[in-house]
Amino acid sequence: MSLFWETKVSMKNKYVFVTVLLLAIALLGHGFTRIYSKPAPQRKEEELMIVTSFYPVYVVATNVAGGISGVTVENLSQPQTGCLHDFQLAPGDMMLLSRADAFVINGGGMEGFLGEVAGEYPNLAVVNAGDGIFSEEGTDSFEEEHEGHEGHHHTENAHAWMSIPHYMEQVAAIRDGLVELDPGRRTLYEDHAEAYLSNIQSLKEEAESLKELASGQPVILLHEAFWYLAEDYGFSVEYVLNLDEEQSVSAGEVADLMDLMKEKNIRIILAEDLYGRDLGDTIEEETGIKVYYLDTLTRGDGSPDSWLRGMEENISILKEALGMEVGA
Amino acid sequence: MNGIFSWLQFDFMKLAFGAILVITPLFGILGTMIVSRKMAFFSDALGHSALTGIAVGLIFGVTDTNLSMVLFAIVFALLLNKISSRDTGTTDTVISVFSSLSIAIGLAILSRDGNFSRYSSLLVGDILSITKQEILYLLVIFAVTLLFWLFCSNWLAAVSLSRTLARSKGIPVKLLEYAFAVLVALIVMLSIKWVGILIINALLILPAASSRNLSNNMREYHFFAVLFSVFSGILGLIISYHTNVATGPTIVIIASVIYFATYFYGRKFS
Repeated sequence: MSLFWETKVSMKNKYVFVTVLLLAIALLGHGFTRIYSKPAPQRKEEELMIVTSFYPVYVVATNVAGGISGVTVENLSQPQTGCLHDFQLAPGDMMLLSRADAFVINGGGMEGFLGEVAGEYPNLAVVNAGDGIFSEEGTDSFEEEHEGHEGHHHTENAHAWMSIPHYMEQVAAIRDGLVELDPGRRTLYEDHAEAYLSNIQSLKEEAESLKELASGQPVILLHEAFWYLAEDYGFSVEYVLNLDEEQSVSAGEVADLMDLMKEKNIRIILAEDLYGRDLGDTIEEETGIKVYYLDTLTRGDGSPDSWLRGMEENISILKEALGMEVGA
Repeated sequence: MNGIFSWLQFDFMKLAFGAILVITPLFGILGTMIVSRKMAFFSDALGHSALTGIAVGLIFGVTDTNLSMVLFAIVFALLLNKISSRDTGTTDTVISVFSSLSIAIGLAILSRDGNFSRYSSLLVGDILSITKQEILYLLVIFAVTLLFWLFCSNWLAAVSLSRTLARSKGIPVKLLEYAFAVLVALIVMLSIKWVGILIINALLILPAASSRNLSNNMREYHFFAVLFSVFSGILGLIISYHTNVATGPTIVIIASVIYFATYFYGRKFS
């Protein structure tokens, strides 16, 4: 028995072959990289570069600071999964942050990688849209995050943008943060924010009209993000099953859910399309109760009004859900 | 700013580069020993045990996941070694059972309360999570591996050929095998966080396997393995940086290309 395969490769050819092979791979790699790497956005000296942590915050930032000359708003590379639960910073994100003047975050422990960013760029100004919404404990994950990379401290429900009043607070917090950082463009930020807030206000009034019907209605949520939404309208939340990314539901939990629905005669179930669809279908089949799919507003085409449109859509779906209640 | 080496301006990339420079030669050397001892399955099982290590650590409240992973892996490696040396017929089945059981236990504990997503970085690895301290650990292990390799690689080769023959030559076969198992466990555990459970074995096996396609003797075998390993590591890091793709998989793809090229070359000229 030999340790080597029965190869008798001639000596000098072999080294030539390996050299050529490695060179070819390196060249291929170089070409491949050229095709796929995006040129870094060039930055002029007097410009203000704002980097946002994820989509809902990005939408706010584009509304408050977008279109102002000399101000760029960039979002971190987005996981298509929506929330930041298992998001990891990619090297490209670190590059983006290295050029940033301000890092706008949602807060509430949503940005589990904040400690990493703070370690790398201790002087980067952080604008926390969650100031005043979340308790200190939730936002302050700096210390523990520093040691390992495992955990996001996702103890608090950080989906504040799902609530219209909280969202307005976030807009105001980001406006104030930017004004503080860049007082020279104060009026621009304030005017932009004002215009956006007035749009939200009219949506808020529309939402208020639902309150009467919704108040006290028992609902089941298949995503924790809808908890804020339910709170807005006064729904009585009976059960929250958080279906997100890789979280799997045990059979026992589903059975409990069905029992609860029968027991309390719950007619409204709110779910999220991407992760809630499977369980939603099961529930519909089993109980005949329609599941309503709402948008968590964490994905979109990047246009400034995508939050407004998404929320409007959510409101009309809720109207439909409540309308069925009236008819039944 | 532009250019192939523009990334060296970032501290996290310097750390990653340092780690690659330490770990790829290590993987190359170790891989040769694993491949010639036919332990590919063994190191794969070890990788899977990382999940269990973290899970067990969580239960006992160990905050340093490195510690719980390493401790569990050492126990696991010793156990596996014991079992696989006992009978020869069903070794692969037994290792597979252990591997499956350990990953199942790990998944069961870590997915409690639906929280597995926070550990998913372990599966694909995260290059940005390397710390200076971990590189220091790796350097120590690198030194230990070099010593082990210098003094014991001939012994190990002898054991691979024939245990009986090796024993008759006065080689401490048992001790050697246990020491090697522990060494593999240590290295796998310390690099798993940034390589990822799913592909760590590929990094260990591929360079050595490619090298075996070309080599006629031990010296060439080790030389090519280290060369391929370091080359794939550095190129993989650079490409992954520029294209924003996870580093581990990029390295494995390059190593695989090398494997297939050498495989066909080796067959053609044999």
